[in-house]
Amino acid sequence: MPGFDFSNYNRNAALCARGMSLPKATSTGTTIVGCIFDGGVVIAADTRATSGPIVADKNCEKLHYISPNIWCAGAGTAADTEFTTALISSQLELHSLSTGRKPRVVTCMTLLKQHLFRYQGHIGAYLVVAGVDPTGTHLFTVHAHGSTDKLPYVTMGSGSLAAMSVFETLWKPSMTRDEAVELCSQAIQSGIFNDLGSGSNVDVAIITADKTTLKRNYVKPNERVPKLRSYVFRRGTTAVLNEKIIRKEDLGNYVSVHELSTAAAEEGGDDKMEVDT
Amino acid sequence: MSGIFAINGGACVAMVGKDCVAIACDLRLGLQALTVSNNFPKIFQYGDVFLGLTGLATDVSTVSDLFRYKVNMYRLREERDIAPRTFANLVSSTLYEKRFGPYFVGPVVAGLDPKTGEPFICGFDSIGCIDFAKDFIVSGTATDQLFGMCESLWEPDMTPDQLFETISQSLLNAVDRDALSGWGAHVYIIEKDKVTKRLLKGRQD
Amino acid sequence: MADRYSFSLTTFSPSGKLVQIEYALNAVNQGVTALGIKATNGIVLATEKKSSSPLADPSSLSKISLITPNIGMVYSGMGPDYRVLVDRARKVSHTGYKRIYNEYPPTRILVQDVARVMQEATQSGGVRPYGVSLLVAGWDEGILPESEEEAAGAAPVMGDDDDEKKKHPTGKTGGILKGGPMLYQVDPSGSYFPWKATAIGKSATTAKTFLEKRYTEGLELEDAVHIALLTLKETIEGEMNGETIEIGIVGPPADHLLGVEGVEGAKGPRFRKLTPQEIEDYLTNL
Repeated sequence: MPGFDFSNYNRNAALCARGMSLPKATSTGTTIVGCIFDGGVVIAADTRATSGPIVADKNCEKLHYISPNIWCAGAGTAADTEFTTALISSQLELHSLSTGRKPRVVTCMTLLKQHLFRYQGHIGAYLVVAGVDPTGTHLFTVHAHGSTDKLPYVTMGSGSLAAMSVFETLWKPSMTRDEAVELCSQAIQSGIFNDLGSGSNVDVAIITADKTTLKRNYVKPNERVPKLRSYVFRRGTTAVLNEKIIRKEDLGNYVSVHELSTAAAEEGGDDKMEVDT
Repeated sequence: MSGIFAINGGACVAMVGKDCVAIACDLRLGLQALTVSNNFPKIFQYGDVFLGLTGLATDVSTVSDLFRYKVNMYRLREERDIAPRTFANLVSSTLYEKRFGPYFVGPVVAGLDPKTGEPFICGFDSIGCIDFAKDFIVSGTATDQLFGMCESLWEPDMTPDQLFETISQSLLNAVDRDALSGWGAHVYIIEKDKVTKRLLKGRQD
Repeated sequence: MADRYSFSLTTFSPSGKLVQIEYALNAVNQGVTALGIKATNGIVLATEKKSSSPLADPSSLSKISLITPNIGMVYSGMGPDYRVLVDRARKVSHTGYKRIYNEYPPTRILVQDVARVMQEATQSGGVRPYGVSLLVAGWDEGILPESEEEAAGAAPVMGDDDDEKKKHPTGKTGGILKGGPMLYQVDPSGSYFPWKATAIGKSATTAKTFLEKRYTEGLELEDAVHIALLTLKETIEGEMNGETIEIGIVGPPADHLLGVEGVEGAKGPRFRKLTPQEIEDYLTNL
């Protein structure tokens, strides 16, 4: 559906064959979880993005909007989770407009799995799909190869084992909203502290029949201590060889703008080329 | 060292200040350990938006030209300049289109939002995943060093003068510990009504 | 298709007319009247929901459609052609814009895209022109800072000649730079015009004369809805009530329709259709 462009593929494969290693894409590393409660569903995620051992983003967003009543948590290749969810969100919006109905979670999950299966796992998106629609509350996981699961509580990503251990210890049937939020938050924090691929803060989304509440940075257990001293350099520290200042009002000196006079524009408006009169 | 990103070398960094942003790059173009040029800027200006590109030099040229074309087409079609956030999304979708045959570039976008005047910076991986940052973005072969420099030197609400010194010192000291980048630097300080471009003196070894 | 010829059905007559397009306009001019009025803080689109039989179920009929959260559309002419264009407009706003820039297209861009679709139908082989005229209403966010927007408006009054020239481009493309309400008409030929207020369809001339009398600069949305209903009353054939009238408005962001809270920068849709009850309320106050 997105229509990928393979025009660089052969060149890149040739470079690869000559022993060049391909660059590593940003990975979410990630702990993501989801949990159904009485009246809705909660999903949560950490906020660390990694590039190999480097923390690329300390506060990224892994909870993706699909439609007001359906949200996705993404793990795996960051670009893939971002674009796959955006694509399915777009398709679902068009579908919803033409049918005049609210989108359903199964529809979203089916579109996702069909898309991912078509690409045989090369699109590295591992997703938790959650939502409430006229048919009820739903929680799914979708793997990059296209397999899906339907469970009352789920975890994914490199911190999934840490998070699942919390669920397996503390989960109970028919929880309240607050219990579910707290449980998910604890599961994510287990990932943040025990899994190196996960870190920083906890994001939570609570989906109920009437609305979705996104709690960005619901818990911030890793706030950086403010610096005690300022390390700002004195003016003139850096040796400058050349300096050029371009002011907004001087921009005309660097580009030529041919402005049509108002009179000319009105004159031009007179000799119309109207066909349908 | 055998990575495609490390063939030509180069580094780029962007930082947020108070009502201003800065973007800076080194000037080296190399072929493995051989330095070919000390005047290969990696920052490109499209209207009020700045794009830094590190990585494979052939792709740096191709991608910078591609976005010049795309931004010009946008300007003709919409009769307005592209906003930094809109441009960032254009970069992202353009790179992701080549998900399975990417350009080997690490783009950095910097600019001020035309409506609110708010500073905007972001970085990307080579397949278009956006890294929105409130403080700084680094890219290139001196990434590790730049992360260390920026993490320690950056602080919120710097004035344009302070921001210039901070970004310059971060870049110069980072590239001094990277064999593949350096040889001078360009620094742009972008404010509401003016842009200051400075050429920095750097080690030539 | 390469193995057979396809002929364009729309060909020039010796006098230089494209009669197929004129026929399409005739179809439009037989259609139920639709109108649009631009106010300072929004736009109203209104039309009559005319059913051919008293047995028809009017609640299933919808002539005003949402294209993007900030853009809506109404038509005069052939219903089936309109639905095709609505689908195309929605689709192209995603594939040609949102999936690239992660934002919805400004009104003029969407109008150009729809106009291109309609133009292609006048020059392609084996197809006929669309038998509809459209009114497209939308709100653009704009990119100029708020303060400059006021300055641009004030400049011609106080500024000297030099100043006026500088501000000129701002005035020329106000919608896309400054942001605010935009109202366009698109015709079967693919030509499009921006309007302050206009009407299309059977009683377009009558309605436009009426609008010319009633329209004032600096109109507010509430007044515009009022004028829209009065204009419709002049031209309507059947009874006027919440079931037989359709109204769409572009107004302030309807955050209660967003369905999410806590999302940074999220704004509710500006375009929405009035419910029959809301229309009844306006009618009683007429």
